[in-house]
Amino acid sequence: MRIISGARTDVGRVRKNNEDNYRTDPELHLYVLSDGMGGEASGEVASALAVETVIDHCQKAAQDKELPLVGERKPELSDTANRLASALRFANQKIFETAASNAQQKGMGATIVSAWLIDRRLSLAHVGDSRVYLLRAGSFDQLTGDHSLVADLVRSGIMTPQQAEVSEQQSILTRALGTKRNVEVDADEQVLIEGDTVLLCSDGLTRMVTDPEIASTLETTPDPQKAADRLVDLANENGGQDNVTVIVVHLAPEARGLWARLRRWLNGSS
Amino acid sequence: MARLLLKFESTVVKEVPLGTRPVTIGRAPDNDIPIDNLAVSNYHARVYSEAGRLVIEDLDSLNGTFVNDLRIERVTLKDGDSIAVGKHHIIVDEGHDTALPLDAFHKAPVPKVDETMVLDTKQQRDLMQQVAAMGERSQIAPGRVRVPTLIVLHGRTDRKEYVLTDRLTVIGKSDLATIRLRGWFAPFMAAQIHKHDDGYYLGRGDRVPCINGEPITRPAQLKDGDLIEIGRVRLKFLYRD
Repeated sequence: MRIISGARTDVGRVRKNNEDNYRTDPELHLYVLSDGMGGEASGEVASALAVETVIDHCQKAAQDKELPLVGERKPELSDTANRLASALRFANQKIFETAASNAQQKGMGATIVSAWLIDRRLSLAHVGDSRVYLLRAGSFDQLTGDHSLVADLVRSGIMTPQQAEVSEQQSILTRALGTKRNVEVDADEQVLIEGDTVLLCSDGLTRMVTDPEIASTLETTPDPQKAADRLVDLANENGGQDNVTVIVVHLAPEARGLWARLRRWLNGSS
Repeated sequence: MARLLLKFESTVVKEVPLGTRPVTIGRAPDNDIPIDNLAVSNYHARVYSEAGRLVIEDLDSLNGTFVNDLRIERVTLKDGDSIAVGKHHIIVDEGHDTALPLDAFHKAPVPKVDETMVLDTKQQRDLMQQVAAMGERSQIAPGRVRVPTLIVLHGRTDRKEYVLTDRLTVIGKSDLATIRLRGWFAPFMAAQIHKHDDGYYLGRGDRVPCINGEPITRPAQLKDGDLIEIGRVRLKFLYRD
């Protein structure tokens, strides 16, 4: 099984700046995406700081298992998931401190979603309303819970998902990186199987393109980079109201030819 | 059916149907509408049905109960009346439709799509308290802890019994597996058990497991006593006290 990925970010059709950012480490199978907010383009600063801090912290931890965790360790989660959560808390601190020391950046913040695939266990950590989805055998499901006002109202049964989609309060977040000294990070994990596709995206995608359209695009575009490009194009075709960023990760079956099998045998992979 | 709508600023956060039982409002958590605010008395007011009319009665509260801005002791209520308790507003809705009126959500000062806001601490705390107050009343009696356990009935595993403590439990031959399968043909990640807020869900891995003889089509919640089959391995899931 091979893990292949593609990513794309775009300013969209309406905004002047792109305040989304993403970074990936394809060797570590680590993927991070952030949607920044704040006046005077400080959103860009926040989201760049977010993704850089997370990637750096995780890369360091991959070299040094003894690297201390930021925040407490949750024993019910794996080391990887704990490390991702630690990275997000670290990013929160960095953004908070930067905002505190620069008047123009006061109040800046960012959402963040991160995914780390080790063997076939996918660890996730997120803050905000950027999302992770899983496409498996025709089922397209959101893996993360949005930290937004409307999501809380839907969860409590007060609002329906349909009302949430048209609500004018849908951009109100209940959690973000950088706006408070401490932030609660949601982390989770699950096992993936061959053929699965994982999508990380900012709300610039999901506000413009429906879930069935996204699922259908992913299903009919096996190359993840082409899929990422196509999704961004779709968002822009439908209006491009916001910055849009997507990362597509696919667990592709191994190439089956004789040469590929020989190569695998020589490499000693399972 | 008539109901009371508890609002926070302009958002409806709780809906209480008015049946035959009286509805109490106050700071103590055993009220039907608990409002955790110092301006609200423990048992502040009560709404009940009398001779086909809705009546609200102030229960000698410190700061008073107001209907349409007038302080009251006991009055009848009609559709659209606004009850003020502390800083909270409760609207009387004698409506006949089942859905919440959409304009309950559209009257907010409108943050446009291009503006993202993060609730500040005080707003968030007030709102979360109200949202939390309407979460399910606890399903499990306090003091009784149910320990999720898997008992191996058949199959080669590293142990005979497992207590589920992790968010994700992997069943397979892989190093990442908690329930380690033995044997040449055992898959690396045969199946998984995922802990959600409302229980444990069994999901597929390399194999599609069966619960009580039925293969699962989606991750399925495990109930006390369920029999799980993954290939030749049989496990029983139960909650131990």
